[in-house]
Amino acid sequence: MTQQQDRTAALVLEQASVAYGHVPVLEELHGTVRSGEAVALIGPNGAGKSTLIKAVLGLVPTVRGRIEVLGVTPAQARRDVAYVPQADTLDPDFPVSVEQVVMMGRYRKIGWLRRPSAADRAHAAEALERVGLSDRAKNRFGTLSGGQRQRVLLARAIAAQPRLLLLDEPFNGVDAVSQHALLEAIALLKQQGAAVVVSTHDLAIAHLACDEVCLLNRHQFGFGPTDAVLTPERLRATYGGHALELRGDRVIVTQT
Amino acid sequence: MSLFEPFQLPFMARALIELVILGVLAGTVGVLVLLRRLAFVSDTLTHTVFPGVVIGYLMAGQDGVFWGALAAGAVTAVLLTVLSHRRRVSEDAALAMVLTSLFAIGVVLVSRRTAFTSDLTQFLFGRILTVTQEQLVQTAVVTVLVAGLLAVLRRPLMLRTFDPEGAAASGIRVGLLDLVMNVAVALVVVAAVQAVGTILVIALLIVPAAAARALSDRLVLIVPLACLIGALGGWLGLAASYEASVYHGLRLASGGTVVLVLVVLYGVAALAGVVRRRVGLSRARLGTPELEMTR
Repeated sequence: MTQQQDRTAALVLEQASVAYGHVPVLEELHGTVRSGEAVALIGPNGAGKSTLIKAVLGLVPTVRGRIEVLGVTPAQARRDVAYVPQADTLDPDFPVSVEQVVMMGRYRKIGWLRRPSAADRAHAAEALERVGLSDRAKNRFGTLSGGQRQRVLLARAIAAQPRLLLLDEPFNGVDAVSQHALLEAIALLKQQGAAVVVSTHDLAIAHLACDEVCLLNRHQFGFGPTDAVLTPERLRATYGGHALELRGDRVIVTQT
Repeated sequence: MSLFEPFQLPFMARALIELVILGVLAGTVGVLVLLRRLAFVSDTLTHTVFPGVVIGYLMAGQDGVFWGALAAGAVTAVLLTVLSHRRRVSEDAALAMVLTSLFAIGVVLVSRRTAFTSDLTQFLFGRILTVTQEQLVQTAVVTVLVAGLLAVLRRPLMLRTFDPEGAAASGIRVGLLDLVMNVAVALVVVAAVQAVGTILVIALLIVPAAAARALSDRLVLIVPLACLIGALGGWLGLAASYEASVYHGLRLASGGTVVLVLVVLYGVAALAGVVRRRVGLSRARLGTPELEMTR
């Protein structure tokens, strides 16, 4: 790998194996995501997509090989990495407004005691604007629809000005309007030079939003340009018996 | 019912001050307990502090109660944090075992005393009317410490409570934060144990916070409201039990009366909450056409 490529590599997996305690979850992952690129993590439930995201955050240990984030270890890179959880894992009764959730993205820059500055407020407002929810700033987070909540969480990540963005199944149960808003915001982040990792079940979204695909099911079944990797053969290998071929070149997955 | 006259008596005045300070302390911590859904964990803490109270009392009399409670509270806070972070045992079952076994140790120890029932009653239900100047100072110091700690940690605490995974992802040490939270609950129990006993503390923690939550969706209002409701319950409860005991020959235990008043306040708040939500909903419905116009 040349010096030039090294500089732009946001995420490097080098024969990396990830384990909870003694139980290996993912083995022998290998690939690179560069700044301004998006990679889709695709695989069935329990394939280890969330675990890989946690490993990139440094929350699950790499037991063999190496995971390098923005040129350093995952734990060292956290300041420049933002994580977007699934909206439906959060308590909808929590007494917090939309703008407060977005401001949480600025906490690392604000610190524990200082009041948010004008710049912090401007970043938060702009992030909310980018997901198209400025008019809901004062609403309680839990009163929004699932898709809108997912957009608020993406706005929170945008407000943190990340160089690497990790999204865990952001399109699950999301309506068409919100899906479109999420895709647009992600595309803009890419344009501005951020690298994006997004786990999804949706092959169409992988085609639409991502330059690269990582096929996962405990092992890596392919990592590379979307069109080259999303082949019927590889999908069948990844999903076992749950992938069906349609008209020769298209595949649907019958069980996720 | 006279709301002010009873507190001209020095012991009633001290009881009132103690309950107002405790209301502020328990209200603040209680909101976090409520949001984290830690009511059962907090209940465990109230029970495990009990043997500490008994041992402290056996070793050093009334003065030993605070320190015994403090030691037991600290040990349980650490234990609970460790238990909840390794999920070998189902959390509920583990808590139930810790709770009952430590509580039983307390009962066994206290049963060896001659004044068994009177001691037991004191530890379980407290003696709000015999609160001393020194206890007031202890409660005030604990309140300042805990409130200060929570104020400094408010952002990580809020993030951890709302989104534990996101908090860990942003580099917050969640385990450490949970320990701080458990220690804060333990300190509330320790501060309140002599005044209201180990059993009634949980009401001071949960009821005002739940009432405040029914009244508002904004954390900046919920915390002061919980403090206010806690203090109000203490005041009205004391006044009611005094009135009943002195003028109507009805001996009402002060601690229990305070809890019952708090529950009544919660009922009122819950009703107000229902009305508030209805109004909010109809407003939202009225607002919808306007929203669509602006798009």
